[in-house]
Amino acid sequence: MTLNFRSRQIWTIARLELRRVFFSRRSFWVYGLALFPLLIFVMQTIAVEYQKRTLSAVNTISPALMDSVREGERVEAVLERLGKPSRDREYSFRRRERDGEEEVRIHNRQLHYWDGQRRANLIFQEGVLQNIHIRQLVSIDLQRLMYNGVFHYYYLKLAIFFGCLGIFMNLFRGEMLDKTLHFWLLAPARRDVLLAGKYLAGLLAASVIFGTGAALTYGAMLWPVESAEVRTFFAGPALEQMLRYSAAALLACLGYGSVFLAAGLLVRNPIIPAVVLLMWESANGFLPAVLQKLSVLHYVQSLCPMPAPVEEGTPALVRMFLAPAPATSWPLAVLGLCSLTAAILYLAAQAVKRLEINYGGD
Amino acid sequence: MAVYKRGYQRYRGELTGRYTRLLALPRFVWPRLIEQRMILIVLIVSLFWPLACIGFIYVSNHSELWSGLGGDLGKFLQIDGKFFRYFMDTQAVMAVILAALAGPGLIAPDLAHNGLPLYFSRPLSRLDYVLARLFTLVALLAMVTLFPAFLLFAMQGGLAGMGWLTQNWRLPFGVFTGFTLHILLVSLVALACSAWVKWRTIAGALVVGFFFILAGVAEMLNNVLEVTWGILLNPAQSLYTVWSAMLGVDAGEGPGAWACVAGLAVLSALLGVVLEKKLRPVEVIS
Repeated sequence: MTLNFRSRQIWTIARLELRRVFFSRRSFWVYGLALFPLLIFVMQTIAVEYQKRTLSAVNTISPALMDSVREGERVEAVLERLGKPSRDREYSFRRRERDGEEEVRIHNRQLHYWDGQRRANLIFQEGVLQNIHIRQLVSIDLQRLMYNGVFHYYYLKLAIFFGCLGIFMNLFRGEMLDKTLHFWLLAPARRDVLLAGKYLAGLLAASVIFGTGAALTYGAMLWPVESAEVRTFFAGPALEQMLRYSAAALLACLGYGSVFLAAGLLVRNPIIPAVVLLMWESANGFLPAVLQKLSVLHYVQSLCPMPAPVEEGTPALVRMFLAPAPATSWPLAVLGLCSLTAAILYLAAQAVKRLEINYGGD
Repeated sequence: MAVYKRGYQRYRGELTGRYTRLLALPRFVWPRLIEQRMILIVLIVSLFWPLACIGFIYVSNHSELWSGLGGDLGKFLQIDGKFFRYFMDTQAVMAVILAALAGPGLIAPDLAHNGLPLYFSRPLSRLDYVLARLFTLVALLAMVTLFPAFLLFAMQGGLAGMGWLTQNWRLPFGVFTGFTLHILLVSLVALACSAWVKWRTIAGALVVGFFFILAGVAEMLNNVLEVTWGILLNPAQSLYTVWSAMLGVDAGEGPGAWACVAGLAVLSALLGVVLEKKLRPVEVIS
C-alpha cells in the first residue's frame, strides 16, 4: 500500500463525508453561526443610511460651525448661530442634593446637529451647554475596530468554537448515534485513514463556512463607509487584513477541529471537554505567558492584524491581571498550531484503533 | 406461525391521584441522576461558593475580628443586595452546567428510542409528562440555588437577628424569586434542547451553547448597532437585570426589569412551543 493509495482513500472518505457535513440538516445551524455577523453589519448599514437621511432632512451645518461650539454657551446663542437642530429633546429629572433632603428638579435639553459626516450631541443643563459629543457616524477606523471585536469575541471564542464542536464531534459521535459507524469500519481502509478522511472533510467544511463567513462580514463591514474611504483602504492594507482574518479562522478550525474530533472519540459526553476548553480559552489572558501558549486561541490571535480589544466595562482589577502573552510570529504560530494538531490527531488515531462500537450506550 | 387475536382492555381499576402520578417519574429519575459521577462532582463543587459566602457572613457579623483593621472594611463586609447578587451569579452558572449534564437525559432518550407511547399509554398527559420532567430538573437545580440561599439567610438571620430579616425583607424575596425564575428558565431550555435534538450528547452541548452564543450575539448587536436592547436576547443578562431590580442594586445600562421580564416570557413561550411540537405520542412518517 503506497502513500499515494492511502491519500486517494483519504480523499474518497473526505468526499463522501463532505456531502454529509455541508448539506445535512444537522449542519444548518453552523451556517447561521457563521453568517449572523453579516446580517448584523447589513442591519448597521440600513440603520446608518436611515440616520443619515433623517439627520440631513432637517438641517446640515458646516463642519467649521460644528467645531465652533464651546462648553458653557447658552442654548439660545447656539440655536441662533447653528440654526434648527436635526433633533431637539427636552427632559427633566430630580436629583437629591448630597447632604440635603430636598430634591432638585433639573431641566435638560439635547440638540443634535449634522454636518454631513459627523453628528454633534449637545447636552444643556438649565440652558447651559455641559457636554459636547462629536463623532463620525461611520468611519473606516471605527468599522475596523468593530470588526476586530466581532472577530475576536464572536468568531474565535464562540462561533468557530461551537461550530467545530458540532461539526467534528458529529464525525464519529454522530455516526454512533445514527448507528452507521460500522459501515465505515467494515470498509477496507485502515482506521487512521478513516480518521484522516473524516478530519479532512470536517476541516474543509469548517474552513469554507467560517472563512467565507469572516470574509463576507469583512466586506459587509465596509458597506456603510464612504466609497472614497473604502477605495483608499483597499489600496492599502484591506486585502492583507482580510486574508489574515480568514487565515486565523482557518487555523482556529484546524486547532479546535482536532481537539473536538479527539474528544468525540475519547469521551462520550462532549459537554465536559467543551466546558473545560471554553474555560481554559476564556481564562487565557489571565494565565502566565507559558500556559497561554498551550491554547489554540493564542496562536490564532497571533495571526490577527489587531490584538483583541479589552471591553469597555472591564473593572480595573481585572485589567490589572489581564496580561496577554506577546504575539507569536506568524510562521511560528502556524507551526505551533500544526504541531499541536498533529499531536492531538496522533492521540485520536490511537483511540480510533481501539474503538469498539456500542450503540446501546448512547 | 399462528397469530392469535389478542384483545386489550383498558385498565378500569382505581387510579392514584394526579400529583402522585406526576411524582412517579422524578422518583425513578433522581437516583439515576445522582448516580452519575459528573453530576455528583458538579453538585459538590457548587457548594464551595455558598460555603465561602457563609464564611463571609460569619466574619461580617463578628466585628471584633476586624474592627482593629480600620479602613473601609466595614463597608466591604456589608451583607446587602450586591453580596447576594454575587452569590446568585456564581450559583446560576453552576445551575446551567448542572442542567446541561442532567437535562438532556430526561427527554432525548425517550424520543430517540420511541419511548413516549409507553408514557402516554398510562394516565399521563403530555402536560403531565413535561411538568414531571420539569419538576425533576427544578428540584435538582434548587439544590445548588434555593437550598444554599436558604442556608445563607438562616445564617445571616441567626447572627444579625430577625430584625435584619424584617428590615431587609426585599433580599430574601429577591433571591428566592430570582432563583425560581432562573431555574425554571434553565430547566425549560434543557428540556427544549433535549426534545429538539433527540440525542443526549448533542443536547448537552446545545444547552451550554445556547447561553454562551446568545450572550455573544446580544453583545455584538449592542456594539455594532449602538443599542442596548440586545440584552433582551441574552437570557442570562436579562435575568441579571431582573435580579438587580429585585435586590435594589444598579444593573447598569439597558432595558428595564419589566422589559427583561417580557423578553424572558417570550423566550419561555418559544421554548414551550418547541416542547409542544416535539413531544408527540405518535409520529407519522411519510
